[in-house]
Amino acid sequence: MTQLIVIGAGLTGLMAAHTAAQAGLQVRIIAKGMGANHWHAGTVDVLGYHPRDSRQPVRRPLESRDVLVAEQPGHPYARVSPEEMQAGLEAFTRLAQEAGLPHRGSDEPGRNLLLPSPVGAARPAFLAPEAQLAGELGRDEPMLIVGFQGLRDFYPQLVAENLGKQGVTARAAFLPLSLVTRERDRNHVQLAKLLDEPERVAGLGRALRGLVKPGERVGLPAILGFQRHREVLASLVEQVGAPIFEIPTLPPSVPGIRLHTALARRLEALGVRIETGMEVLGFHGEDGRVLWVETETAARPLKHRAERFLLATGGVLGGGFQSDHTGRIWEGIFHLPLTLPQERSRWFRPRFLDPAGQPVFQGGVPVNGNFQPVDPASGQPVFANLWAAGNTLAHADPIHERSLEGVAIVTGVAAVKAMVGDRAPANS
Amino acid sequence: MPTLETEILVIGGGATGAGVAWDAALRGFQVILVEKRDLTHGTTGRYHGLVHSGGRYVVKDPKSAAECIHENRILRRTHAHCIEDTGGFFVVTPEEAESDYPDRFQAACDEIGIPCTEIPVAEALRREPLLNPRISRVFEVPDASADSFLATHATVQAARMAGARILIYHQVEALLVDESNGQRRVQGAQVRDMVSGELVTIRADMTINAAGAWAGQIAALAGAEVRIIPGKGTMVAMNHRLVNTVINRCKMPSDGDIIVPIHTIVAIGTTDEKVADPENLRIEPWEVQLMLEEGEKLVPGISRARVLRAWAGVRPLYQENFTGQDSRDVTRSLALLDHPSRDGIQGFLTITGGKWTTFRMMAEKAVDRACQHLGVERPCRTADTPVPGAEQGHYWLGHRLHEIEEARLQGELVCECELVTRAMLEDAARNNPTVTLDDLRRDVRLGMGPCQGGFCTYRAVGILHELAAENRTAPVTPESPQEEIANSPWEVAYLQSPGRHVRTGSPQEVLESKVLGPASPVTDPRTPVSNPNLLLRDFLQERWKGVVPVLWGRQLKQERLDELIYLGVMNADHLPDEELASPLTDFYLFDTTPGETSPGTTPSGQEKEASA
Ligand SMILES: Cc1cc2nc3c(=O)[nH]c(=O)nc-3n(C[C@H](O)[C@H](O)[C@H](O)COP(=O)(O)OP(=O)(O)OC[C@H]3O[C@@H](n4cnc5c(N)ncnc54)[C@H](O)[C@@H]3O)c2cc1C
Repeated sequence: MTQLIVIGAGLTGLMAAHTAAQAGLQVRIIAKGMGANHWHAGTVDVLGYHPRDSRQPVRRPLESRDVLVAEQPGHPYARVSPEEMQAGLEAFTRLAQEAGLPHRGSDEPGRNLLLPSPVGAARPAFLAPEAQLAGELGRDEPMLIVGFQGLRDFYPQLVAENLGKQGVTARAAFLPLSLVTRERDRNHVQLAKLLDEPERVAGLGRALRGLVKPGERVGLPAILGFQRHREVLASLVEQVGAPIFEIPTLPPSVPGIRLHTALARRLEALGVRIETGMEVLGFHGEDGRVLWVETETAARPLKHRAERFLLATGGVLGGGFQSDHTGRIWEGIFHLPLTLPQERSRWFRPRFLDPAGQPVFQGGVPVNGNFQPVDPASGQPVFANLWAAGNTLAHADPIHERSLEGVAIVTGVAAVKAMVGDRAPANS
Repeated sequence: MPTLETEILVIGGGATGAGVAWDAALRGFQVILVEKRDLTHGTTGRYHGLVHSGGRYVVKDPKSAAECIHENRILRRTHAHCIEDTGGFFVVTPEEAESDYPDRFQAACDEIGIPCTEIPVAEALRREPLLNPRISRVFEVPDASADSFLATHATVQAARMAGARILIYHQVEALLVDESNGQRRVQGAQVRDMVSGELVTIRADMTINAAGAWAGQIAALAGAEVRIIPGKGTMVAMNHRLVNTVINRCKMPSDGDIIVPIHTIVAIGTTDEKVADPENLRIEPWEVQLMLEEGEKLVPGISRARVLRAWAGVRPLYQENFTGQDSRDVTRSLALLDHPSRDGIQGFLTITGGKWTTFRMMAEKAVDRACQHLGVERPCRTADTPVPGAEQGHYWLGHRLHEIEEARLQGELVCECELVTRAMLEDAARNNPTVTLDDLRRDVRLGMGPCQGGFCTYRAVGILHELAAENRTAPVTPESPQEEIANSPWEVAYLQSPGRHVRTGSPQEVLESKVLGPASPVTDPRTPVSNPNLLLRDFLQERWKGVVPVLWGRQLKQERLDELIYLGVMNADHLPDEELASPLTDFYLFDTTPGETSPGTTPSGQEKEASA
């Protein structure tokens, strides 16, 4: 029998499954889609802004963790020690390397990177794929931001102007989209796949060489190849003779999907079964244990049995929480208790970009020090063989504090370690 | 301080003011219209979308019903392309099965001359399969659905072509009141250019107050008391075209008893609540729930469909000496206030009350009276003068998709939900004074679909920024060349037609690369349209205001995705120019403090200012 079923194939589910496989468990992932990987910037954000004061970016997330945890003892990071956090991130770095998509951090260890966003804001990130590193705003080389005429999801002048306002020397240029394709109705994922073809890369390289001035680095929308991404990047750098970086933009996210694809392939090679397109709709429990979960198929519900289950369905964004017009909000599979203001009028603030974020997104599944969902009244685990991790966890708004991937990775790894008894809990 | 002179000054750029400007210009008057924000900023941009047949008021308010059917017939000609000919049903639901209202309704329609045919329930269900099968009777009337943004633009364009000057983002701050010769006379107004902050004096022989729910405030500037009874109505937009016909309940007008198909959605409405301030409107959760519950009676299951957003408008109701409590009891008939005879104030008229459907008639009455006072005889011509674009005939649901496919414009789409192409957006921004993205939303329906701006906000900001960099957006100043706008090849008439905005020499053929100058702010950073960061923030906030009342289920998930995009990927909350504001920044803020309101009680929260 399957020893562990992980529900959800976002970064949390993938890291959890990887940890379990390494611990020798027989593990399956069941998921509807690929979670936030489809949308996010492809970086690993551990803590970009302090939730209580988000004016300046956090410089050293692992150090700021201590302040955060002291202020918010329920935060998911409070469930792991600094060493576990470090270990979780290292596990990710190793896995990404093995998967052929290396990620790195700042040259100064422990520091957040500052990378250009598609509107030219400086976004803090802890680890970034190789292709984004040359965009680090602390470097000296002036930037040439290059877009494609007619491409609707990237605006180089906007990026350059805003970077300029923040003291970064940048100029903008356009290339004809026909260098990549004659079809205008293409999204970035399709463009990236087209650039897997070497002739197209050669054309792009020639055009870029005509634009770039000595000493400049070149920023492009994130479309530099898909399967052959690393070769595409290396060959462009060589042809152009300048550092090149990608800027992630609107979904579907090329860096995010690349990461998902690479990690999933690596996990499968390690023996993890990943089944997507399957939505878990319910479960069956007896005597305080989950016996199976059910997925809907065309014919009849399918039962999936396992010894243990890990919930990694990602809260509101991942589809793990549902809500209706009466103001009810609930966890969709196990009907776990949520820590949420139950009154709808208290879910939101008047400003979309409120520096304190929207209260509803602080809510989630409360867990004990072992990442087991608990009944908030008694503090006792709801099921003896159920764990939860990632964006489902209560007391953090990972999008707002820019910790989405950090929380996913660190808690995904730690939850499985707790499950197999390979750790001492940080607190309870 | 610049001074402008004119014969007629019109205050208010809603349907009524636009109609007055059009009518007066056609009669050969020199006209200036001032609107404090964009056209249709007021109730006209927040109404329910219905060209009334008059059926709704036929029993309770026959005078208003007669005005509606009269104008319904005319608008179908003069503004044909702004109307979708959906037809309307009045249905008798089980709740009213015993009532004698349906018979009274039918008799009253006959009396007034509203075409009204009872059709078999089975026939109605065949045409509208989602309608409640338990209805017992159905009457068909010539209701229709209208795009008030397009209609107002078209009316204004017709006015411009007849010589009128239209100044948007110009707010009346004072009226020029002359008290010499022992007589009080309004001689124009002092207005503020909301973008530059400059004051402009406009001298006029006749000032016509068409400020809708704000008409009382304007009249007070002349020392006249006009007590508008502001009745707030909330509407809820559902993601699908659940019905293709306007569905009314056959009973005395009440809350949530009409469903109107508007382009790709249907809107359930409305409530009717007296409010204190027409500007800062709160939408209470109970209002949304009430709309959904009432909607269920007409289309069972409607409350489980995806809700897109909610909005509210204020009826500029007026009734001389009204003493009742319920704003539903105020007449919907139009009101022309003749201040010379009513208050002894010369050179000043107020036109208010009425409906969107009757704006042309309201304008006619107002300008007739202005002619009397100015001592000239010039007949009204609007009823026989179609506005530009009317020759296209009524629009239909699939017209955008059809045009996109025919011209193969899929790659040009900026807003996939509402099928807005880049060229439509550029043309609208270039030829129509634009200050915020919200102005473009009204022009081309940007951001009005399921993702509520999630994708198109960024694209529109990028595109406008590129336009500004090339200095191609229209400036909004009193000196801006109105003639050029009036005669520009771009026609308002085709504002919403993707097939009319096709670039010759498509960018596909641009083969050389283009290098741009060093990054420096392209134009005056205080002009909102050229400041991308301000555009972005304001539009995100505007969308937020409309979705908060309806965030649950899939729409809540969509909202979280928008957060991931705008916070996580873009970092839009840490952009430069944080201190800058547009004339609309405050307007997009709203109060979310829970109010203890329920239907029937006086909503205490209504009086609160938006928390800044
Ligand atoms: C909820 C609701 C639903 C409705 N549904 C329908 C319907 O389905 N069908 C129908 O026919 N009618 C409907 N109506 C009625 C209709 O919308 C209004 O009667 C009509 O739009 C009023 O137009 P208006 O031009 O008189 O006022 P407005 O559109 O409000 O125009 C007044 C303008 O004056 C401007 N203004 C204010 N102060 C100043 C100043 N100081 N300086 C310059 N400008 C100023 C405002 O910004 C505003 O744009 C509805 C009304 C409501 C509230």
